[in-house]
Amino acid sequence: MNLIAQALWDDFFKGGRLACARLISAVENDPEAWPEILDKIIPAQKGGVRIGVTGPPGVGKSTVTAALARRAARAGHAVGILAVDPTSPFSGGAFLGDRVRMQELGGDDRVFIRSMASRSGHGGLSPATPYAADVLDAFGLDRIFIETVGVGQAELDVLGCSDLVILVLQPGTGDVIQALKAGIIEAADLFLVNKSDLQGTETLLDSLRFLMDISPVRKERPFPAVLEAAALLDKGMDAAAAEIERLVENCVGSGRYREKRLSRLEQEIRAAIQRELWLDFSALAGAEEEIRAVAADLLTKRASPYPYIRETCSRIRIQLADERASRVKDE
Amino acid sequence: MSKTSNAAWKKKYENSGLREADFTSISGRPLQPLYTREDLADFDPETGLGLPGDYPYTRGVHPSMYRGKLWTMRQFAGMGTPDQTNERYRFLLEKGQTGLSVAFDNPTLYGCDSDHALAAGEVGKTGVAVDTLADMERLFAGIPLDRVSTSMTINAPAAWIFAMFLANAEKRGIPFATLRGTLQNDILKEYIAQKEWIFPPEPHLRLITDLMAFCAAEVPQWNTISISGYHIREAGSTAGQELAFTLADGFCYVEHALAAGLDIEDFAPRLSFFFNSHLDFFEEIAKMRAARRIWARAMREKYKAKNPRSWLCRFHVQTAGCSLTAQQPEINIVRTALEALAGVLGGCQSLHTNSMDEALALPSEKAVEIALRTQQIIAFESGVASVIDPLGGSYYVEKLTNGLEEEAERYFRKIDELGGVVKAIELGFFQREITRAAYEYQMALSRKKKFHVGVNDFVNSGQTLEIPLLEIDEAVERDQVAFLQRTRSERDNGAVREALEALKQAAAGGRNLMPPLLECARRYATLGETSAALTAVFGEYREQPFY
Amino acid sequence: MAERKIKVIIAKPGLDGHDRGAKVIARALVEAGMEVVYLGLQQTPEAIVRAAVEEDADVVGLSILSGAHMANFRKVRELMEAAGLGDRLLTGGGIIPTKDQDKLKGLGVEKVFGPGDDLQEIVEYIRRNARRAAA
Repeated sequence: MNLIAQALWDDFFKGGRLACARLISAVENDPEAWPEILDKIIPAQKGGVRIGVTGPPGVGKSTVTAALARRAARAGHAVGILAVDPTSPFSGGAFLGDRVRMQELGGDDRVFIRSMASRSGHGGLSPATPYAADVLDAFGLDRIFIETVGVGQAELDVLGCSDLVILVLQPGTGDVIQALKAGIIEAADLFLVNKSDLQGTETLLDSLRFLMDISPVRKERPFPAVLEAAALLDKGMDAAAAEIERLVENCVGSGRYREKRLSRLEQEIRAAIQRELWLDFSALAGAEEEIRAVAADLLTKRASPYPYIRETCSRIRIQLADERASRVKDE
Repeated sequence: MSKTSNAAWKKKYENSGLREADFTSISGRPLQPLYTREDLADFDPETGLGLPGDYPYTRGVHPSMYRGKLWTMRQFAGMGTPDQTNERYRFLLEKGQTGLSVAFDNPTLYGCDSDHALAAGEVGKTGVAVDTLADMERLFAGIPLDRVSTSMTINAPAAWIFAMFLANAEKRGIPFATLRGTLQNDILKEYIAQKEWIFPPEPHLRLITDLMAFCAAEVPQWNTISISGYHIREAGSTAGQELAFTLADGFCYVEHALAAGLDIEDFAPRLSFFFNSHLDFFEEIAKMRAARRIWARAMREKYKAKNPRSWLCRFHVQTAGCSLTAQQPEINIVRTALEALAGVLGGCQSLHTNSMDEALALPSEKAVEIALRTQQIIAFESGVASVIDPLGGSYYVEKLTNGLEEEAERYFRKIDELGGVVKAIELGFFQREITRAAYEYQMALSRKKKFHVGVNDFVNSGQTLEIPLLEIDEAVERDQVAFLQRTRSERDNGAVREALEALKQAAAGGRNLMPPLLECARRYATLGETSAALTAVFGEYREQPFY
Repeated sequence: MAERKIKVIIAKPGLDGHDRGAKVIARALVEAGMEVVYLGLQQTPEAIVRAAVEEDADVVGLSILSGAHMANFRKVRELMEAAGLGDRLLTGGGIIPTKDQDKLKGLGVEKVFGPGDDLQEIVEYIRRNARRAAA
């Protein structure tokens, strides 16, 4: 059963912006449609580079992203921006305020900006973000910026779906480096110290360089450049943009681009299989209620859940085998 | 009254059963059921209250207040073309208004000409359109500028609008020294609340100090800045925030003027303020009294001004636009009356009363007349103007005045911590406070913790509008644009270009910008051309939005 | 597992900086579980509709207190139709006289809100009327 109308696909492949937007919405709203969408999208992808922009709140990620996007567009690239903001865990709503900081890109046809809420992504990226990037890739965009809010899981999520990661920092926030999650510093491809007109820039630059000095050598990757900029004043952004292009070349040329895709694909397959099997299991009558009842009982008795788990898995294997057998018989 | 009798009353009060209501002020301030001498135990009337016209001016800025001179009845007006506005001014002066107040349209407020791309659909809609000196000439035709004080509500392009005003006076042979009036010219509150800016803060602040210096020498009776809380309140702030943010802005201007080398006694006497008068009657009165005391203390103790005239917080009051309802508009007359009364009991120097139909559109003649009559009834019938600061000494009012002063002091400390007003603006501090207060009030209305008669209670279902509305003809824009184009073609364009170039040079250098602005005005340079020339040097401001 | 959220664009066209209402509504909509793209001040109709396209917005809300509502709503409606967003909800608020509200109905703007309208009512109106084309 097709969840996406053919007319929408036709529009999309003809370059219809609304069709592209609607596909992204489908990806956000209907995970059931992912297989159908990816079937058409993956073959159409043209090798767009995903550039993650992350960092603590307030450092100017949106301004930096907009400045980089503008330069990429001027250099002839077709640019996409996915700006992710956190969904409120209380209301389920989200204030998507990144777009307004990218006003100057508003009239540029070569740039497509889409705001996304993190939804069930625990404050990090939305699970749909990588697929939204796939849609933009298939749409023909070859530089796709993914800007996240940079709290909690976000920094690590963005590593998974980006080819390159820019970590934006700003001076004067003290122990910002201690505060950043282990992993992001090691994995970033470029450190950008924004608002370099503020006091404390030198200190921060020194700290970053020191970190690089004491870090173990990274496999097959050079140490990231440490650049300073003042995006609001449009300073230092030419150098940053040039560095990104250099990184892109390097990333594609060194095979890292392919490696990332491979790793992501493997992840996707694993996760999807787990998801499908879990769905099958929880579809079995009474499965959720049973788990709840058993857990309550185990808690009272202070007993280990593993006997139940083992026994349930055996039961499932048998039950599924039976169901399959009877379906085959019916067909 | 002893402690025992207080305690006894308290018991009786608690046992008597209370209404289901929220007994907090509109700003959320918890209110006691009763205020007694106990509440003022630590209050020293000598230093805290004083006498009218005496430091710290809690009871009023003049020794005789309204016994000597009533507040100026100054109704804000402006619409359509300068000719139409001129007619409204003559109408109001005839009806007994004692000062003029000019409202400009949106394009003018933003320093844009009437034929600017963004001006389409907005020319003459919420005020009068002024593009050149020629419009000033029409606006004030036949009005004795040396006998009527004129207040101009304009901020970002205030300096060059004022230059046009001066050029007009000059042409009519009216000496600058006789001109009386006020320019709003308060850019800081724009960044905080109203959002009408052109450049970043520092260039605007420079224009303000240039204008102050110029007026100190050439236009000595002019109030160069009306430091405003009205708009901050309209944006949704509480009374305490309105008070604190306004005075903080005032301190910022004082500091900038001092840093620019001006003598405090030269500019401070010409600073004036503009407050809102909102629905919560006593809170507003207390707010105004607290303002005078806080300002006087700061000017004398912190900024070391010696001249008592430098210590005065003189202010204009406008009744709260945001308190008016579109539903049952006639009852807005009552709201405005109460708010006006609060302004008078708070000791304002001039007052604008809103018209009942202002929730819907610019006011009609009839509505404006009623608004003016409201002030006249207060002044001539109610008797409140016969006694100075009649609420002084009230336990409640004095306690509330003290409370608002304390709240303001807390905010001043916070702003200092953030690095001052300009820094706090950049960090979004004010904007966030205001947005939060606005949201909380709206939620309180939704939950019926607070009331708005006719809106969330006592609603008349299916009512139809009966008040005659004033409509702005679409021809206004056409006529204004045509007039502008004619002015452009009839003037000496070479001379204009020359003057604009000289302006740019002065802006890039450090000279006072008023003389070059005056020259531009004389030669009929347009508002937009002047804005563009200055923008070329100062740059444009883009707000980093805060929620 | 599918979460369908209502996506709303809130914008202020033209030269008007009074954004109290727009911000309060934006916040109320977020609290009601919607995803709100706040475009802010001085937006041209073109920029607003462009954002509506890219965001695939269900709702476009304009806040206009300057008197220029007819011209702005008309232009935004036109551009939305041309862009294929004719079925999305166009609404807004500000100082709009009743007579003009009737004229707006003729343009396909069925309801606009004014000062004093209850926040929850506005939220419900948007929730009930947010439209989305079938995929």
